[in-house]
Amino acid sequence: MSRPRLSVSLLCYGVLLIGCLLAVFPYLLTVLTAFKGPGQLSETMPWEPGLPPSTAAFDRLFASGFGGYLISSTLVTAGITAGQVVFAVLAAYAFARLSFPGRDALFWVYLSTLMVPPVVTMIPLYLMMQKLGLVDTWAGLMLPTMLGTPYAIFLLRQFFRSIPADLEDAARIDGAGRVRTLLSIVLPLSRPILVTVTTLAVVANWNSFLWPLIITSSEDKRLLPLGIALFKGEVGVDYNAVMAGSLIALVPLLVLFVFFQRFIVRSVAVTGLK
Amino acid sequence: MLKPATRPVRRTQRRQQTLAGYALLAPSLVGVLGFLLAPVVIVIVLSLFDWKLLATPEFVGLANYRELLGDGEVWHSFLVTGYYVLICVPGTTILSLLLALLVDRKLRGMKYFRALLVIPWMATPVAMGLVWAWIFDPGQGALNQFLGIFGVNGPAWLSSELLAMPSVAAVHIWQFAGYNMLFFLAGLQNIPASLREASSLDGASPVAHFFGITLPLLRPTLLFVLITNVIGSFQAFDTIFVMTEGGPGDSTEVATYLIYDEAFRKFDFGYAATISVLLFAVILAVTVAQFAYFERRTTYDQS
Repeated sequence: MSRPRLSVSLLCYGVLLIGCLLAVFPYLLTVLTAFKGPGQLSETMPWEPGLPPSTAAFDRLFASGFGGYLISSTLVTAGITAGQVVFAVLAAYAFARLSFPGRDALFWVYLSTLMVPPVVTMIPLYLMMQKLGLVDTWAGLMLPTMLGTPYAIFLLRQFFRSIPADLEDAARIDGAGRVRTLLSIVLPLSRPILVTVTTLAVVANWNSFLWPLIITSSEDKRLLPLGIALFKGEVGVDYNAVMAGSLIALVPLLVLFVFFQRFIVRSVAVTGLK
Repeated sequence: MLKPATRPVRRTQRRQQTLAGYALLAPSLVGVLGFLLAPVVIVIVLSLFDWKLLATPEFVGLANYRELLGDGEVWHSFLVTGYYVLICVPGTTILSLLLALLVDRKLRGMKYFRALLVIPWMATPVAMGLVWAWIFDPGQGALNQFLGIFGVNGPAWLSSELLAMPSVAAVHIWQFAGYNMLFFLAGLQNIPASLREASSLDGASPVAHFFGITLPLLRPTLLFVLITNVIGSFQAFDTIFVMTEGGPGDSTEVATYLIYDEAFRKFDFGYAATISVLLFAVILAVTVAQFAYFERRTTYDQS
């Protein structure tokens, strides 16, 4: 009985090992290629490290203004994410705990917008921003995605509803107002879902490509993904430098993932379905 | 005694809640109605206009739609999109289900395998598109160098009209298989263990158990994974933009790329809006069809 089980387990480990290798191989290649010098690139196999490691690619990258994109991307991601999470929490709390006319109908409107492809809204959004005089401005870049994120509102609402209402009633009897109850009772209990929603927002905003590509044109508002894509076009394919740029774009997300992995894996899997 | 006293109190309470509700919703109402819903309405209106950059918009009724019907490039781009969806959706779904079955086993270190498999989902699509373009590079790329070890002369993946699309789709599958695995894993773990024991006592083979018990119970998860993947792969843009720019020829020119091209390179807003309406209609129809199919199957089974 135990022998076939052992061989089955070994087979599982083998398949998983190959799977994981395929999953992380492009990351591995990014690191290796980013630290190769120009000569090392042609002399080594792609999966061989170039020794000694060279930072020449990073020097070229930053000489062409990449540091600026990094700062812009960080600020824009932080700004949009903060807005998205705060406004989503407020809306989700209203949907979960308050009763007012039109609530359920509005909630369905919010949910149905999940089906709208971003590329469909791009043209009208661009024309709206043009009317408002916000093309190639920070506000135009950030506003459309900052205010309403139906997916986050949906996840948060589901979680808020699972918190026993008695807890809030008790706080209210003790004299706490709505805001106090939200801040001191609901939010501390919602930490896993808040972490997940924030991480999803950071990933989406940090990676966002199409809208920044359309709405901005000036150099100082160029964000990281666009910077990498343009670097490819402007200099021919300097794979060394492109990999160095990709590595810089990937590292913050990886760090985030390592820290919040257990929250994300659990709550993405559980809340996405309900 | 109590009733007349509480009624006004209740009414003010209700008014307060309504006020508080709308106050809390206000920012997201601007976002959802103004920046998500209004654009859909506007895009439909725009599709009735002839509007090129700098020229005055001119109402042309259904002329754009008539042009669309005879436009081979548009139909080609929808066929290309369909081809992409047909590779990505089954590829991602089947692979993620297989991975979920594997990592559902109680083996030591399994949580590290799970985490590693999810990592591609965190990738910046633009960055990873470029990394993959480098992997697919015919001369120095890792894939052909690897094939070279076995004496195989690898093709130029991205500059072949035949191979470019499957190569781009492979990147999509790579990115999303691990992420979708999480949903299947959650579904598998919701299946009571007693069912597994019962069927192994009945002498059911693992394959029979999978098709007879596991798969039917995973139907809600399957629907969720299918729908999100269909919607997602219809909208593919970033990876294709950096990997092939729609080429070689127009072999990877998906609908989103064509819309971008018409609107922001040729500045033909009216026509781009018309293609957008068609894309939206197709996504809506496919999504509704999936719901209908699964609903019918579910009620059929219960009767």
